[in-house]
Amino acid sequence: MTVRVRLIGPFIPRFGFSEKDLEVPSPCTAADLQLLLGLQGVENLMTLQGRGLKPQDALSDGDRVVVAPIFSGG
Amino acid sequence: MNGWTGHILRIDLTKKTFKKEAYTEEFAQKWVGGRGFAVKILYDELKPGIDALGPENKFIVAVGPLAGVTAPNTGKTVVAAKSPLTGGYADGNLGSHITIHLRKAGYDALIFEGKLAQPGYVSIEDDKVSFCDAQEIWGKGTFEAQEWLYGKYGKTAGILSIGQGGENKVLYAMVRSMEGRAGGRPGVGAVMGSKNLKAVVVKGTKEIPLARAAEMKARGVGDMKKVAELDKKSAWSKTGTNAVLAWCNEMAALPVRNMRKTSSPEAYKIDGERLRDACVKTYGCPNCTMRCGLTMIDKEGHESELDYENVGMLGADLEIFDLQQVASLNYMCDDFGVDTISAGAVLAFYADAIDHGATKGDFKFGDAERAKELLRMACLRQGEVGNLLADGSLRMARKFGHDSEAYAMQCKGLELSAYNCKYVPGQALSFGVGPMGAHHKEAWIITYELKQTERGGYGRDKAQKVVDIQRIRTGLFEALPACRFPWVEVGFELQNYPDYFNAITGLDWKLEDFYKAGDRIWALMKAFYAREFPKLDRKHDYPPRVYFDPANADKDGIIAGKHLEVDKYDQLLGHFYDIRGWDDRGVPTRKTMESLGLSKEADDLAKYTKVT
Repeated sequence: MTVRVRLIGPFIPRFGFSEKDLEVPSPCTAADLQLLLGLQGVENLMTLQGRGLKPQDALSDGDRVVVAPIFSGG
Repeated sequence: MNGWTGHILRIDLTKKTFKKEAYTEEFAQKWVGGRGFAVKILYDELKPGIDALGPENKFIVAVGPLAGVTAPNTGKTVVAAKSPLTGGYADGNLGSHITIHLRKAGYDALIFEGKLAQPGYVSIEDDKVSFCDAQEIWGKGTFEAQEWLYGKYGKTAGILSIGQGGENKVLYAMVRSMEGRAGGRPGVGAVMGSKNLKAVVVKGTKEIPLARAAEMKARGVGDMKKVAELDKKSAWSKTGTNAVLAWCNEMAALPVRNMRKTSSPEAYKIDGERLRDACVKTYGCPNCTMRCGLTMIDKEGHESELDYENVGMLGADLEIFDLQQVASLNYMCDDFGVDTISAGAVLAFYADAIDHGATKGDFKFGDAERAKELLRMACLRQGEVGNLLADGSLRMARKFGHDSEAYAMQCKGLELSAYNCKYVPGQALSFGVGPMGAHHKEAWIITYELKQTERGGYGRDKAQKVVDIQRIRTGLFEALPACRFPWVEVGFELQNYPDYFNAITGLDWKLEDFYKAGDRIWALMKAFYAREFPKLDRKHDYPPRVYFDPANADKDGIIAGKHLEVDKYDQLLGHFYDIRGWDDRGVPTRKTMESLGLSKEADDLAKYTKVT
């Protein structure tokens, strides 16, 4: 299945893209996506439709996931 | 006493006299420094009800144990006064060489009293204090004023100055330093202006007393490299704070159109990527290891240093999605010496009030050129409109009527920072309960709300999180003081700060000791507010009313139909009061104050308002 990934801020230069479709195995959880992106051990905030994803949350085909570092405010 | 100089310099501007005063170790350990020193001095020395723009107000410059010490991002100074905008306590911290020079001159704080008869500035070189004429720079912007002072004292001298905004007593005028640095959102710059005080210059040459100097130096140098490496690894300073803009846009938390909207398809035009591409140089404060000041060329060719709050409020909230124009507005705010957040919010409110028929005018969202004209008029207090805009959104709303106060986006008079809380209850609480008003530096919990709990929830955990962050930010970063970015942005451990403090002072403090000091300072800030507003109630701690209005909910997008709920917000506020040990009006109880060592202050507060 396909999941669209939108990276924010420092993750863009770090991973070399801003937004793109990723082919992921089905089923796929948020934790699986983190592994696929190489984000293990990197503090991050994954959201879907403006709500935080827990590691065990299942993703669906066509989901758009926003992945940001943990900002703590200006 | 190691770690503190043990002295405050009191300067009477009316009489042009000064006095070096000693303070006790007990005072130092109770109030730490920075904000702690400032609020205690102002609480003790200001009579409630004084005119914040009168000579009775006092302007405080305060540093703390970390000032002047080699350690990551420790170049911060606190400026404070009674606020002409909110009527409560006001402060801000800014990066400045004055942080280092003040300590080397032998002081931890300056108290400016009275008023100069003519525009002037004060120069402090160790024990020598001079009252100098400022006619040549009065009426000039901060860039020109600072350049003039550099010519006299050198570029690395400690210099604080105001622009025309402060001179004209714009109620959200700030104090400026080192071109891009600013502090004192709730009008601390206006207080300087009211005293005819254009600038303060400090040069010091003495040794700073440290308990374990060699240990501190080795640790500090190593940790500066460590933070710089953390920053490099995370690539944080490539986009700086403006990376938050794209994220807020995705999360429906971006201020757009006076916060009527929470996102915009045009936001990408002003986001962190665009700023990174346009960046020509970066700036940092003294001892900075992660330079957040991304500078670009504005529409008129000036170098303009931007961060997220600037772009969020002068760009998105005004629907100006042209980064060069946003940079122009930002440059003007910096040069006039006014707060970019309030300036953006005031203009957005003006456009919104015109839209809603509360007043008449010719300003529309998205009109960058007119925004510049209006900003200039406000900073110079030109004409009726300029004077109106110079007084902030709450006073504007009270003049307009038509229930426009509901959508004046402020708390206690201070405009909201660039986080739209339409459906972020915990952040709305954080803004609502701030004794200084709605300020992002006090507590920022949006990522917590999204990552670790339900976004739309009103659980006690959110109130606890707000308190936890207030404790850390006030107890450590506002009191020591130091920049919070190494901790909040690249994961530099909090424990480093007590370690530094202990090496500097020879004491053995734990993080909990700083949190208790933070609670004490926070309680006194609220006591200051309660003393000024003895009839206060919990409505003083509410966010703008429009957030509770179902008609204001987004029509589409990820939070369509969502809005804050008043009963639930009130319940959340109750949790906050309970955790803080405050009564149901939001006043610290006697028991709480006594537990924080504030018995004398509780007795004083009880003369003005009910203390349960």
